[in-house]
Amino acid sequence: MQPGMQPDYMEILKLDEGELKRRLAFFELSDDDFQRLATLKSFAERWTHEITDGLYELIMAQPESRAFFPDQATLARVKKLQNTYFLGLFTGNYDLNYVRDRLRVGAAHERIGMPPKLYLGAYRRYLALIHSRLLEYFKGNAAEAAKALESIRKIIFFDMALAIDTYIAAYLETMTRHQAAIRELSTPVIKVHDRILLLPIVGTVDTQRAQQIMETVLVQVVDQQARVMILDIAGVPVVDTRVADHILKTTAAVQLLGAQSILTGISASVARTVIQLGVEITRVHTRSKLSEGIELALSIVGKKIGSKTARAGSEEA
Amino acid sequence: MPTGPIPILKIGSTLLVTIQIELHDTVVDSFQEDVLEEIEKSGASGLIIDISALETVDSYVARTLANTGKMAKLMGTETVIVGMRPAVAATLVRMGYFMEGIHTALSLEEGLEVLGSQAKVPDTE
Repeated sequence: MQPGMQPDYMEILKLDEGELKRRLAFFELSDDDFQRLATLKSFAERWTHEITDGLYELIMAQPESRAFFPDQATLARVKKLQNTYFLGLFTGNYDLNYVRDRLRVGAAHERIGMPPKLYLGAYRRYLALIHSRLLEYFKGNAAEAAKALESIRKIIFFDMALAIDTYIAAYLETMTRHQAAIRELSTPVIKVHDRILLLPIVGTVDTQRAQQIMETVLVQVVDQQARVMILDIAGVPVVDTRVADHILKTTAAVQLLGAQSILTGISASVARTVIQLGVEITRVHTRSKLSEGIELALSIVGKKIGSKTARAGSEEA
Repeated sequence: MPTGPIPILKIGSTLLVTIQIELHDTVVDSFQEDVLEEIEKSGASGLIIDISALETVDSYVARTLANTGKMAKLMGTETVIVGMRPAVAATLVRMGYFMEGIHTALSLEEGLEVLGSQAKVPDTE
């Protein structure tokens, strides 16, 4: 994903007409509710500022939530947005555009790092404020107020579900991105010299990683038409039969492509283990140090590292 | 006289085979037969099989290709397989086919080099 670009949560959450219907049905939002909410528009317009102020009283009273609104300008802006949001509850029109708008709200909260506990906690105060204003609006007719509150509660819970889904989707999205980054970092193929590639393997090698190493190595060998592939395993903590098998399969596949492979970074303990385990390792060039591997690789492509002659020795580094 | 669908070209003392169709069992069998006959007839010293067009190689094809190389060697002809795709190489080693006794090269050009400089090719130690 491009930095700064917002993921399309409508698509991630598979929110189409069918899903919208299922959601509305589960929150028992019926046409009655839609009509009732639409008739409450005058109530909303009358009380929205009081309700918003009451909500931000709670938010500004706690240091944790107050931190999200550092100055008066921000506070004024979010209060305005809050009023728009509140009035939006009473349009009587709850279609995919409504859902898209709600997802945007959820994404905005997630983006500024507002934890769900504060988000949900604020809704609790919100409902209490709405309830007390409804009683006032219906002049003590508790039955009417209860009906109205029930409809409002449904649509608010519907909204909350969308917001929480956005939170989860955003977290998953971040995780996927990190995993991809880790995968990429775990197989950095380096071009050492013309037609010589090096892959330092660091960390444990499990089956999944081994497959990925093999894939990357083979593609790189062909792409760069490498003559020699050096695999340095100095950074692999434990080399057991399984790891040795994975690595040797990779070197064998490299050879099938028509390139040679050199295994370096083999410590005394790894050498001992491999022989004791009886792993067949004769098919591949091996060296203990990477520098020796590079020298061997150069000799395979017909080059060598030489000292500068005394005449050129005074040259600047 | 070759009868199969895969043409075998002769350049100097080298036979060049470029496989551009999917290798079914019957095709690969007739391919082996044609190649060996051609070697016998021409006395070629080298055989290059270009498989860069092959996206998949199953175990039968892999075994037949490897065997063809071994048979050619018995007749004094070195075989080089060139242009193997990464996915094919990965599949082959997973199936346990390491193509012993056959040379491999990244490209046709390098395959010719391998044949031309047999003595100089550093074999694995």
